[in-house]
Amino acid sequence: MSDSPPPARSTGRPDRRAEGGGPVARPDRRTARERAGDHAAIDRLADELVPALIAKLGSTNLGEIEVREGDWRLRLRRSTIGSVNYGRRVTDGASRAQPGHEGHGHAPGVLEGHRPARGGTIGAGGTVGVGGNGTDAPGLAAVGPGRIAEGGPDPGDADPSFATSPAVGVFQPATAVSAGTRVRAGDRLGVVDMLGVPHEVVAPVDGVIGASLVEAGHAVEYGQELIRIELAAGRESGGEAPRQAGREDGA
Amino acid sequence: MISKVLIANRGEIALRILRACRELGLDAVVAYSEADRDSLAVQLADEAICIGPPDAKRSYLSVPAVISAAVVTGCDAIHPGYGFLSEDEGFAEVVRAHDLTLIGPSPEVLARFASKEATRRLLSEHGLPTIPGSRGMLRDDQHALAEAERIGYPVLIKPSAGGGGKGMRMVRTPRELESAIKICRSEARSAFGDDTLYLEKWLEDNRHVEVQVAIDTFGNGVHLFERDCSVQRRHQKILEESPTPSLSTAARTELSERAIRAVVAAGYQNVGTLEFLVDSAGDAFFIEINCRIQVEHPVTEMLTGVDLVATQIRIAAGQPLGFGQADVIARGHAIEFRINAEDPAHDFRPGAGRVQAYHAPGGPGVRMDSHLYAGYEVPPFYDSLLGKLIVWGPDRPTAIARSRVALDELVVDGLTTNVEIHRALLQNEAFLEGRMTTNLLDRIGSAAFLAAAART
Repeated sequence: MSDSPPPARSTGRPDRRAEGGGPVARPDRRTARERAGDHAAIDRLADELVPALIAKLGSTNLGEIEVREGDWRLRLRRSTIGSVNYGRRVTDGASRAQPGHEGHGHAPGVLEGHRPARGGTIGAGGTVGVGGNGTDAPGLAAVGPGRIAEGGPDPGDADPSFATSPAVGVFQPATAVSAGTRVRAGDRLGVVDMLGVPHEVVAPVDGVIGASLVEAGHAVEYGQELIRIELAAGRESGGEAPRQAGREDGA
Repeated sequence: MISKVLIANRGEIALRILRACRELGLDAVVAYSEADRDSLAVQLADEAICIGPPDAKRSYLSVPAVISAAVVTGCDAIHPGYGFLSEDEGFAEVVRAHDLTLIGPSPEVLARFASKEATRRLLSEHGLPTIPGSRGMLRDDQHALAEAERIGYPVLIKPSAGGGGKGMRMVRTPRELESAIKICRSEARSAFGDDTLYLEKWLEDNRHVEVQVAIDTFGNGVHLFERDCSVQRRHQKILEESPTPSLSTAARTELSERAIRAVVAAGYQNVGTLEFLVDSAGDAFFIEINCRIQVEHPVTEMLTGVDLVATQIRIAAGQPLGFGQADVIARGHAIEFRINAEDPAHDFRPGAGRVQAYHAPGGPGVRMDSHLYAGYEVPPFYDSLLGKLIVWGPDRPTAIARSRVALDELVVDGLTTNVEIHRALLQNEAFLEGRMTTNLLDRIGSAAFLAAAART
């Protein structure tokens, strides 16, 4: 837990909505034993899950992560104050606000920024290993890319992040960007040209440029991963100013 | 020439267009939003490209995103389907500016038919009756009373600007007219900043009948008869059929022939639909033209055997129609049921969610156009159409009997659908006797409609 967590707030509350719209259990009918179980669950969620999720949230460009485990639902949302506001996230609020989405216990995982592999099982992109079985059955479903599952529950693992395409068009990386360059969240890494209009590709997190996944001049689709960003050296972030690539204020 | 088509739509119509492209030997690219990554069209496509987030304004309705997708994937044509950009007048111009072909009428033709008012005047000049209305806008109460007297009550007061029912009133007497005009003026003024009003004849118990046409770029045109779309709920069609049960063969043939003569003379090209209101006396009045493929096109395909989507693509590619009016033969009877993710028991509240199980009905004359599959997550961002069940029979009673079997066979688990309303329709006397009018379902109320069917 030595990662400096991004500003985040969490809300944990039991979600007693029965699957399939059945009767809703009344909280006051719960027995002392059930309540004790709740407290134990809250403790466990707070001690284990929340720090792990904060680390995940910090290492991706997700705005929000939601997980379910049994009756419990945990949602972490990145504070918009003082963090980079990516243009392409504006729809996230709307997608979350859609009625009917929570009621059937399925996280809108595939709607988030990254691209799960084609041909995978439907909706499996949002299922985490812990108890998850790739279905709507109880388990732990997280809003977010399939990559979360690959990392496993170990929060110390620094997953790579990816700068993704903000538009469908032709990718042109910035000349200053090459493998090994240190970047900060919001740095401009290139553009995607959509019918002559450049759309900026920005670093979603602080880190070091890794492999470029798309060659200059190639066609890319919306949301496509373009540049890998390694987070390994991110622990000293906030220290001395790293070598930067084309940082632009207010990006 | 067209060799590679970008399909700029989603759901069942994306699949329908993909199938037509394959049949014609064309390459196709499915453009999709992030919400449709798991859609059947994307999975079946050889090539698919994500054009934006779920919000349609930034994906299916984004002109730059759609054009850019066509350019970077090397497409030479774009099929807009229905809805979304198919109804965007400016889109056709931008498509052409990028040396692409829009599968539909040319920008010049679209421009000619862009204004509803101008189209009514144009087609009226070419012999199509339009709904009687006031000559020009209403100057004052005296003028309104005189015009209403001339048209004949009941009349509909309509604002010149805007729509959506604001400033609109139906009146049956001169007295009602005088008081309603004041209300309409103030409503129109506050809603649109313009209190100009006009009058239109109110057609009581009307039917919605539309004529399908196809005209190539050489001016060869055919009609493909009509469809009756009178089964509606709040102006939304839910069931369409052909032939129109209330019209004689002579009447529907005459209507279709008048329609094709008028649009060919007015210079329309490609596949299109002319909508009419038919009053209780059987008189048809032209309302508007749809310059795109329509949701209910399979009714006509089942009836005539003509592939309308393939025809649309071939006309856009500059090919001659290849068949004449004598080749268009309507056989039997076809009915389309729109299967929507809506709850008829709760005011047709739209739903979304995961399809637990899906089974499409089969058998002679049964066609299911749907993008559903078991495990599919219906996204909440778009319209509620899950698919269309189209049933053909040698006559209407057989088509209805087959429809009952097919609706019973259809399985869509995990979502509430409007199938119950279709079952109820097939029990309803007014429907069985071919007496449906556009206001019937709303007047009875869908709850009462379902309850009545449950008793039989």
